[in-house]
Amino acid sequence: MTDRLRLVFSLSSVLFLIVLAVSPVKNAFREYHAYQHDFRRLAADHAPTARAAKAIASRPDRIEQIWIPQFGNRVDRCITCHQGVSEPSMTSLPLPYSAHITTAHTPADFDRFGCVFCHGGQGLATSAKEAHGKSRHWPSPLLPAAFVEAPCGRCHYDTNVPEAPRLSKGRHLMERYGCYACHPVRGYEAFAADAPSLATTSMKLRPSWVRSWLRDPRAIDSNARMPLFRIDPAEGDALIGFLFSLRPSDALVAAVEQASAEPPGDAGNGEVLFRESRCISCHTVEGKGNDSAPELSKVGSKAARGWLLQFLKDPQSFNPSTRMPAYGFSAGEVRDIVAYLTEELRDFDEPASQEPPLHPSERLVEQGRRVFIKLGCFGCHQVEGLGQQEKIAPELTAIADKKVSSLDFGRRDDLPRTLAAWLEAKLTAPSSFAPGLKMPTFSFDQDDTAAIVTNLLSLTAEVVAPEYQPAQSTSAGLPSPPAGEVGRLISHYRCLTCHIIGASGGDISTAPLTFEGSKVKRDWLARYLMVPYTLRGILPERMPYFRMSQEEAERIAAYMSDVFLDDRIRADAFDGKPPTTDEVAIGERLYYRIGCNSCHMIGTTGGYVGPPLSEAGDRLKSGWVAYWLENPQRWRKDVLCPNYGLDREQIQSLTAFISTRQKTAGPAGPAARSEGAP
Amino acid sequence: MKKRLLLAAVCILAAGVVILALVRGRTRMATAVKVKSGAEGAMPYMARLGSQTYHHYCATCHGQEGRGDGFNAFNCEPRPRDLATPAFQKAKQDRDLYDAIENGGRSVGYSAAMPPWGKTLSPRQIQALVAYIRQLGGGSQPRSGGA
Repeated sequence: MTDRLRLVFSLSSVLFLIVLAVSPVKNAFREYHAYQHDFRRLAADHAPTARAAKAIASRPDRIEQIWIPQFGNRVDRCITCHQGVSEPSMTSLPLPYSAHITTAHTPADFDRFGCVFCHGGQGLATSAKEAHGKSRHWPSPLLPAAFVEAPCGRCHYDTNVPEAPRLSKGRHLMERYGCYACHPVRGYEAFAADAPSLATTSMKLRPSWVRSWLRDPRAIDSNARMPLFRIDPAEGDALIGFLFSLRPSDALVAAVEQASAEPPGDAGNGEVLFRESRCISCHTVEGKGNDSAPELSKVGSKAARGWLLQFLKDPQSFNPSTRMPAYGFSAGEVRDIVAYLTEELRDFDEPASQEPPLHPSERLVEQGRRVFIKLGCFGCHQVEGLGQQEKIAPELTAIADKKVSSLDFGRRDDLPRTLAAWLEAKLTAPSSFAPGLKMPTFSFDQDDTAAIVTNLLSLTAEVVAPEYQPAQSTSAGLPSPPAGEVGRLISHYRCLTCHIIGASGGDISTAPLTFEGSKVKRDWLARYLMVPYTLRGILPERMPYFRMSQEEAERIAAYMSDVFLDDRIRADAFDGKPPTTDEVAIGERLYYRIGCNSCHMIGTTGGYVGPPLSEAGDRLKSGWVAYWLENPQRWRKDVLCPNYGLDREQIQSLTAFISTRQKTAGPAGPAARSEGAP
Repeated sequence: MKKRLLLAAVCILAAGVVILALVRGRTRMATAVKVKSGAEGAMPYMARLGSQTYHHYCATCHGQEGRGDGFNAFNCEPRPRDLATPAFQKAKQDRDLYDAIENGGRSVGYSAAMPPWGKTLSPRQIQALVAYIRQLGGGSQPRSGGA
């Protein structure tokens, strides 16, 4: 009996001991011990100093973590295994020991951000599988490397995020293709797509053209931003009926009708004018050009002659906020250009047939109106009289927070069950999920898709704490477009379509005008505005020849010289004492020694990355030249001219050389002028 | 006696299990360590970053694909380097590329037509450029002695 009791007692003691040992034994077997052991062995060879090697060898065997109470109380234990992550000397070690690549936030900000905010996964876990979030029910597994820039966008809200090229591209694409016109997204409440107004459809287009456009916009214009909608023929007819029922103001109708009765022009002269006017600074012709305005290679088969004539005469009467400048063409010149557009820039394969004007029934118009609303056309195309309409597509503000379990994969059984794969498929084949979905098809390539998915994965509901938000770039104190006559001219010639002035304006031109008065001489500016010539031969975008009157040019030049100034820039680098010939000679030697000529042309030799400097002295103020040479990137952050780190004396002599390059010193204007013709 | 033997056997068995698990754990980890994380398929982040910088500053002379045939190449004497040849990729360490970009062609015994970028680009931008240049001409692996 006692023997038996003894046996039971000893067995249960052993069992008890085993049970007691489970926890410490389990801990002893955690994989991180092996990783840490391995790291100590490998890292000792890579440590920069003997002392560092010793410190690594004597590291305790334990769970390491980054705890950030002020940043959502994050606890990231990734460094338990990724032991070398913050040590630059560990760059060549294999994963998981290697150092993190150097980025804007690493290694400096590990303690501010931790790991999971950028990479996803499960911070508290201490096994690789759990930490990488591959376990069931963990909502955010490790972010695939292709989308690693997405989290940058959770704090950086600008369209251009420095050092995040893919994210920035995604943001540009989403603006360009008008995603925000249908999908509400926080921060884009005021987004307005710049799609054309449809009010003049019946005066501009033929029903058959609209029909083929609706069938596939890209077949007509490979740069088309409008996506492919799946519209059935009956809906298409109704939609066309609705579009052709729209009417602009009576004055515009009368003007277009009057214009279509004008006599024909000379297409040959029109072609010269077309090239001279640098239309491709904004438009494209067969895909060549800046691509911020419609493709023109088949415009002659698209738009009616009367419409084109009136549009070229006064584009702003069609749409007060158009980006198209008003050119000072004479009536004959407009006829010549339109003759060129309608005779040469047309689709020669198209059968020439007269289409009877469309008189849609009221029922059809009403039906078309409903289709227009149903498809969400109003998101991009403003049409009066539709009333207040809600955006038609789901909100994307927190799309990155979506749980995979809540995504509708529909028929797509082939897709990996991840948010990224779902988004990619939604972008490339939106109709493959289920019949009847409204999302149209865009033609994004693989790279575009990755960029847009990156941006979508940056959209979370969480707004980071203020101390984690990057400083917003401010441009206070800069002149805004003025009121009065100069303001009217700046608007008439749409300077802001291409140039930046203060905090507004587009970036088609590389030359901001904010401090134009400090940069160029007034006389030169007035002459240039009247007859511009090519300053940067390398760019397809050039200053258009507006045919500005002398009075207008002088008014703008005077205003800019008086107001568009930066007080840090002196007008004259030599304070009234012209540079000596010695100084100029020293500057000339320096100019060629440091290789300015590889980008700039003087006379007939040199490069054409930067503007030619043969007449720099006529164009530029010497104070500005010196200011530029001190640090070109101070003028504009992305200028190509490298900062050579010149000292004061070198700057002075180089300025002396450059600002004495004048018409008498180099070849005269006409040579440069003829260069402008493409 | 028999029972005592049984007891000992149980203890030895338990110890055996513990030791076995320990040894197995170690071996399993050692193999796991060798597995590298998934390659990125397309271009890695640093090269992407470098690509942006390259096409902004460098491509006008060195060309879109690094072949030394940019728009401005034909105005330069000597012609810009073709960065995409295997011979060039092999001859230059990352450090060499970094130095030439940072301090300009003249500092490394070549032409001043290649300007120094060290005061215009940050060290990280230059590192990214080096990473991108390594992708040119078919993308060889970055070489050690890195910048």
